[in-house]
Amino acid sequence: MNLTGIDWKRGIVAGLLAGILWGWLAMAVNTVTGVFVSEKALLVNILAFSTGGAVYGVVAGGLLAATHKILPFKSLLLKAVVVSVGLWLVLRIGGVVLSGASPWRYHQELMATLQGFLLSLVMGTLLGALWKKGFN
Amino acid sequence: TSGLLPAVLIVGLAFSLVIISYGLDSIVPGVHDAFHDFRHVIGMPCH
Repeated sequence: MNLTGIDWKRGIVAGLLAGILWGWLAMAVNTVTGVFVSEKALLVNILAFSTGGAVYGVVAGGLLAATHKILPFKSLLLKAVVVSVGLWLVLRIGGVVLSGASPWRYHQELMATLQGFLLSLVMGTLLGALWKKGFN
Repeated sequence: TSGLLPAVLIVGLAFSLVIISYGLDSIVPGVHDAFHDFRHVIGMPCH
């Protein structure tokens, strides 16, 4: 793979913006669904969700930049969703493995998992929309 | 006269994402507590 031929800047900037937005949106969605009752102060969570979202977004954006030319879909939005959901699934499968190894430390929660899956779809949509804006 | 740095950044952040997602205190002390709510909300297993 030729690393210099990849539009990293576009992926990183789109991912960063999408990730921060997504972090705030995830907090709002969870407040509405009530799937998890927050245990932290609002300001602490704003920082954590912004940071966590930004990291998730930049990684997804970087993966999209590296793979969008080889993914077998026409729609850029669909490619972004596939990358975002794929990344979440890899992490979640790792979580299943950890849960099997240390069940006292890692508990599985069905509703939180469903919410996380839906949020990964939202991340892909945000990333795809911001990618289309272009940041060159 | 050249790609690698952004790729290294993405790999480093992917490693950070794993640490955040699983709350790996053994690698970054305090990360479990700092991202506790985040992990639950995005559906990662947690205690």
